[in-house]
Amino acid sequence: MSKLSREDILKLARLSRLQLTDDEVTQFESEIGSILQYVELLQDVDLTDVEPTYQVNGLKDVTRPDEVVDYQADPKALLKNAPDTEGDHFKVPRMVA
Amino acid sequence: MISQEVRDQYTVTIGIECHVQLKTKTKLFSAVGNDAREAPPNTLISHIDLGMPGALPVLNEKALELATRAAFALSTEPERFSQFDRKHYFYPDLPMGYQITQFYNPIIRSGSVTFAVGQQTKTVRIHEAHLEADAGKSTHPAGKDYSLVDLNRAGTPLLEIVSEPDMHSALEAKQYAKELWLLMRYADVSDASLYYGNMRFDVNVSVSKTDELGTRTETKNLNSFRSVEKAIEYETERQIELLEKGQPIVQETRGWDEAKQKTVAMRSKEEAHDYRYMPEPDIPPIELTEDMIKPVRDSMPPMPGEWRTRLVGLGLDVSQTDTLLEAEVESEANYLAIIEASLSEPEKAKAIANWLVNIEIPLRRELETSGGLPADNAMRAKLYEEIYKLVSSDKLSSTKAKSLLTELLSKNKLPADLEAYAQDGGYLQVSDEGAIEKIVAAVLASNPAAAADVKNGEMKAIGFLVGQVMKESKGQANPQLAQQLIKKQLGL
Repeated sequence: MSKLSREDILKLARLSRLQLTDDEVTQFESEIGSILQYVELLQDVDLTDVEPTYQVNGLKDVTRPDEVVDYQADPKALLKNAPDTEGDHFKVPRMVA
Repeated sequence: MISQEVRDQYTVTIGIECHVQLKTKTKLFSAVGNDAREAPPNTLISHIDLGMPGALPVLNEKALELATRAAFALSTEPERFSQFDRKHYFYPDLPMGYQITQFYNPIIRSGSVTFAVGQQTKTVRIHEAHLEADAGKSTHPAGKDYSLVDLNRAGTPLLEIVSEPDMHSALEAKQYAKELWLLMRYADVSDASLYYGNMRFDVNVSVSKTDELGTRTETKNLNSFRSVEKAIEYETERQIELLEKGQPIVQETRGWDEAKQKTVAMRSKEEAHDYRYMPEPDIPPIELTEDMIKPVRDSMPPMPGEWRTRLVGLGLDVSQTDTLLEAEVESEANYLAIIEASLSEPEKAKAIANWLVNIEIPLRRELETSGGLPADNAMRAKLYEEIYKLVSSDKLSSTKAKSLLTELLSKNKLPADLEAYAQDGGYLQVSDEGAIEKIVAAVLASNPAAAADVKNGEMKAIGFLVGQVMKESKGQANPQLAQQLIKKQLGL
């Protein structure tokens, strides 16, 4: 993997819903680039006979019965955590024109 | 408008993704109620559905069972190993910032759906089907600079069924969608109510003059069979028109404008495709065992395809069969169980099937708006049984059987003694020779010309005379007997 371009950083920011200043773009260009270079060391490891890791704790088939459980999580209290609400709804910046 | 000639030069290729809402009590990863139909906004939510830090989603075991049922309905087996992944995108109705879905190892990776298109049989292959959590619902108040989000639906379990691009006309696509709906209902995987959005279709459409596939568009969130058909017809036309004008097709997501009956561009795929999938560390992998799969396999009822074979075997035609199969999921009337009970006597089963198609189903549909008809299944099974007895012993004509059935179904009642009831109501055929002889004599006397014709060997006229006897007897005479007596009295 080669160095990240300015466009890569801008795309990453767009996908992450982050607004970056020009200075920040320059800063992340080199910072994220060097992080990637470090992680790239992994590319040299021989994985020929290694199964993909989906899970590191060895668990499987963890399920629960299809029954309602009272989590003691009051919807009204949960709603209160939101930055903004209107009536029973979460209020967010308009998504459509 | 493009001409049929131009249109015929193109092959249309269609693939369908269908989101089926699974019939569970609780959500896919949280033990919160799932029935958002009438619930006030944001009452079916928990720390898990809202993606609060530290919340731990745990998979609903019922979703695995229903996905397994779906696999059998799609004529295949579920994957023994499957696993969940995170699909990242930001949208206000997706609190976690990612959707939990199955990208690398879906629970179904094969299967097929077979259905009729006109007189032809069509099979569409299934590419895969995966479990995933639904997003919330947003509304956009008119004239405001904000949107409102209701997360009741967030976390509802979905099975997304992805077909291979095996369809080549809007009609095939519509029939596929319909068959999938029947399958999900018969297999009891989903309530499959289109009205409540339990099944939503995304259609991928491309056109090409060569063997190479054209650029495709995806029209999302179609919620009726008709809109599936109309959207594909519109897209086909639009794409051919563009190509004929030498313009490129843009690969994009489109929406269906029901009012204008056209598709409209929503977003180009370019960016949306970057979902940065990664294995979901909160949900351990799933290994289905034979112990879990076998009871599900054994509990599968006959699917629509099997019923079609049975019903056609009884001599029903395609349209009668379709009527029965669709009506079966419209109400609790258990038509098929009533037929099934007499399958060992094909004549009887066929007669009952015909009554269901011609009398009860139309009656039930007609009364649907005015409160409907009770579905007392044990009573109705017995009613059909007894009516058939009267018809097969020639006591009740098929015409009178229809009116008697209509009356009794409307009243939702089975008289203690059906034969006596039919007798009192004037439904039974008069096979009393003496009574019919009198009517025949009167009819012959008042129709001398026709009587003479029959005597001279013009047997066509006998039908007219039988008709007159039927009329005089108010439809109660046994027509075969009437014919015999006419001949006898004319000395033939």
